[in-house]
Amino acid sequence: MNICSFFLDISLEHRYGVSMKILVCIKQINESGDINLFDAHALEEAIRLKQGFDDQEKRDFFSVDVVTVGPLETSEIIKRAFGMGADTGYHIVTNDHGYVFSFETASKLAVVAKMETYDLILTGIMSQDLMAGETGPMLAEIIGFPCVTSVVKTDLASSSYSIEVEQEMENGFLNCLSIKLPAVLTIQAGINTPRYPTLSRMLAAGKKEIITLNQEDLFPGEDEPVRARETLISMEYPDKTRSGYVLEGSLRDKAGELLSILQEKDLA
Amino acid sequence: MKHILVIAEIFAGMIRPVTWELIAAARRIKTLETSGLIKIITLSDDPLPLADKIAEQTGMDVIGLKIPGCKSYDSDVYKKSLSWLIKNIELSHILAAHTSQGRDYAPGLAIRLKAASIPGVNKIKSDDKGLIYSRSVLSNNQNMILRPVSGIPVVLTIMPGIFKFDAPGNRKKGQVDIFDTPFDFESDSQGRICHKQIIKKTCENQALKKADIIVSAGRGIGEKENLEKAFQFAKCFSSSAVGASRPLVDTGWIGYEHQVGITGAVVAPKLYIACGISGSSQHLAGMKDAQFVISINSNPHAPIFRHSDLCIVEDVLEFIEAFLECRADREC
Repeated sequence: MNICSFFLDISLEHRYGVSMKILVCIKQINESGDINLFDAHALEEAIRLKQGFDDQEKRDFFSVDVVTVGPLETSEIIKRAFGMGADTGYHIVTNDHGYVFSFETASKLAVVAKMETYDLILTGIMSQDLMAGETGPMLAEIIGFPCVTSVVKTDLASSSYSIEVEQEMENGFLNCLSIKLPAVLTIQAGINTPRYPTLSRMLAAGKKEIITLNQEDLFPGEDEPVRARETLISMEYPDKTRSGYVLEGSLRDKAGELLSILQEKDLA
Repeated sequence: MKHILVIAEIFAGMIRPVTWELIAAARRIKTLETSGLIKIITLSDDPLPLADKIAEQTGMDVIGLKIPGCKSYDSDVYKKSLSWLIKNIELSHILAAHTSQGRDYAPGLAIRLKAASIPGVNKIKSDDKGLIYSRSVLSNNQNMILRPVSGIPVVLTIMPGIFKFDAPGNRKKGQVDIFDTPFDFESDSQGRICHKQIIKKTCENQALKKADIIVSAGRGIGEKENLEKAFQFAKCFSSSAVGASRPLVDTGWIGYEHQVGITGAVVAPKLYIACGISGSSQHLAGMKDAQFVISINSNPHAPIFRHSDLCIVEDVLEFIEAFLECRADREC
């Protein structure tokens, strides 16, 4: 029994123990410097789970931590996450500026995920730049949690230590599942609208400490703890699948030519 | 001898057509490199009818893995059963579809097998050192060419719509083997993922399916109010409908029934006009069978232009305005 339980809805404590800890894995997109859009949706979802309660004691029962992997400047997105409402930030500092394979990232995240007893781990369905969608499910497998990808709705169960989710499938189908916690979920766009960081929280965030970890902290004494299982050979432009005839001339010329082409085809 | 494993995709008790594409991709791998056999596998509590059907359609040998309690897809069941099976067969390649299912279990399976993992493969080639794979990155603007490290298996998820399967003309049904597994998920109280139901999002847009001409709007349209322009543009054509890319639906600018793409409607109109759509792979997969594709985008490097018959590099709102004026002039 912890002392706070006196203030809490007994069912919360009954379900989650002394606290409900959520970890959100976020990534910085090189091009924009922003939080990966899908990770912002994941963070928003975590904050909504926490703020779904009216009274402060219940909210305090929840904590939302964020973790990111990347070079020093990546800490910017942790400050942004503080501005959105995250409580604690972990930064796994690396020197990788180029392509990083999901397995490497997931292995590093796994160390932080195991440092605390998290009940729920959220991340985006994929990153906007590399679009692999592997980090979440790989992390889940490494730490032995169940995983559901492409989640478009979440609801904490009211009577058991589990979470109800809707998983997006093809052609408008949704798979309704109940997952025992602890679990990893990857979040699809459309689930919510990520809030903007508030100025007051951003200012307060300046005082919050970011916990930094390097490779030696994560894997003490190991030279090459995680070795990628793929190598990048080159980059190519995708093939064309259609002729791609480009209309030339002024705006009006192009509009006229399109109209003629469509009329010729009997379409307009 | 190392084999190529193809994991059939089953949804609502049916074999999804992407399974044939996986077999085509496996054949491509076999042609390029490996001397092993292609093994097709299906997982179910009653795998015989599914395995039979695949063996009939392809003339290839199929393994049915009988798993009590496995009535629908479940990532835990798939990962556990497949890694059990794979311990008994030496494999070089494991192929799943790059779909909501494949993307759900394949990365975790790769971890279990200590295998390499390449998601969303859109091309399989070889160079002097062996097989290499292409996957789309940077919003579909580039392909990354990757090689798995040697000596371990590789898990590939294959992008749908790329590899075409030609069934052999005079085919003889392949052999079907049903294997029992030591698992029983029926009475397994340890199950971490509980399946409740599958629902379908409201109203598939019949208007999109029926239209000869679809005018689709993307983020290039700028603001919600500007969607009106897309509707005006569509009115220039008879039998037309308005579509939209996913981000517009996600932000709530337009209803889900307008969404074109893998998670929305898959359409094949006579004419598809993409207005301010960059061309994500999920969108392209929803309109690639259109007879004629016109794209309007201010960015000359937008990926959609690689998949268009006619390319118009202009601000989409200005262009629609000019087109409407031009049309009004000619009608006078």
